[in-house]
Amino acid sequence: MSPQTFIEEADLHALVDGELDSERRRKVEDHLLQHPEDAALVEGWRRQNAALRAAFEPVALEMLPLSMRDAATRVPAQQQGPIETGAIHWGRPGASRPAQRLDELRANRRRQAIFSTALTLLTGAALAGLAALVFAGRGETPHSPVAALLTQSYAARAGLTYATFVSDARPVEIDISRRGELVAWLQERVGFSRPPDLADLGLRLVGGRVSPGVAAPAGFLVYERADGARVGLYFERAEATGAPQAPRVGQGVVEVEWRAAGFAFVLVGPLSPEDMQAAAERAATAVAAPADANH
Amino acid sequence: MGKKADILEGLSGAAPALRRYARALCAGAGAALSDDLVQSALQSVGARVRAKELRLADLDEARVEAYGALTALAAKRLADAPRPAPRHPPIVHGLAELSFDDRAALLLVSLEGFGYDAAARIVAAPRETLLARLMRARAALGSEGLRPAGAEAGARRAASHLRIVK
Repeated sequence: MSPQTFIEEADLHALVDGELDSERRRKVEDHLLQHPEDAALVEGWRRQNAALRAAFEPVALEMLPLSMRDAATRVPAQQQGPIETGAIHWGRPGASRPAQRLDELRANRRRQAIFSTALTLLTGAALAGLAALVFAGRGETPHSPVAALLTQSYAARAGLTYATFVSDARPVEIDISRRGELVAWLQERVGFSRPPDLADLGLRLVGGRVSPGVAAPAGFLVYERADGARVGLYFERAEATGAPQAPRVGQGVVEVEWRAAGFAFVLVGPLSPEDMQAAAERAATAVAAPADANH
Repeated sequence: MGKKADILEGLSGAAPALRRYARALCAGAGAALSDDLVQSALQSVGARVRAKELRLADLDEARVEAYGALTALAAKRLADAPRPAPRHPPIVHGLAELSFDDRAALLLVSLEGFGYDAAARIVAAPRETLLARLMRARAALGSEGLRPAGAEAGARRAASHLRIVK
């Protein structure tokens, strides 16, 4: 065929492996230009080389196990046991006989690690529990408005509403002088419109507003005592019913929560817990009374 | 004496490459085994030099000796080595399919970059024998499933744990 018929497979390998002098190399390359099937072979071997290097080069870049650093220069101790390589190859279980001893060592170490982890966690949990006990023993835990928002209970929402509006220059949206308007508004938005009369407890109704509730629009009525102390009545549509619960004291105000007529009521104010409880009882009876009692 | 120490010192610098070769030669049989082999090979070369059984002219010769010791050790120890696990990349499975002699020849030339003469000295065989083994290994390994390094890193990564089962 061509004058280069004496090019054989060994020459192709030698080309890939850089074993040819420049003259011979040029001849082989010319041969490849005319014989694409041979060129494909050479290309395939170069790919093999690249794949081999890609697969195993990372091993050469790993940090050398300690015991290997001076293996050639160190005088080995007589008959030492299985060689501890220093590197812990977690992911590649050892396979040989001597490696089994290593695996035992590693299993031991893993057990120790698990044990100490568990011990640490337990100690931490115990400490946390102790701290919780100590802090809970201190009584009232200061809760920020953000925390109150996050808890999303009616009482917390009522407390936030109270804190927002009662100290405001304009605590109510609609004054009691426009009672008809207020009642119609609350009836339409909140669904409940019979402001309990707490006058005989010294609490005069100032007015009310619609405010954001936990899950629906809520109503908020403000009462005022002669000395200027203000009490808020928060109500929002809710499912369960129940009698007034024990007053909850926090941040200088008392909150009494109860459920009635499909609503959750929360009475919030700075009065003493007993006064708040009494006001809540009165309000609860007023709310539970037939619809025409207040109209 | 000082020269001998220098050569042995330099041989320690070849340890990473020896590990690479040993890991490939073991073809998935385990990192612990391959590291064990490297350490034994380095120690045996060191011991033979100290015992004046071996006179090394330069570092290249020392490397050839170390690779030779490693290959001889591996030939003995890999007789009942386990097969590579399915999680190993296809190239490792391909290597494991080769006979030990063919695998050593291919790795010495392809992975470690030895010339034919040096590689023949390492496996203690004539140059023609080495060449024949190299050709056989390359033909057997084929090129299916082997992608050029870096060309498609993503595909290579995917190929490392995906295997054609049918």
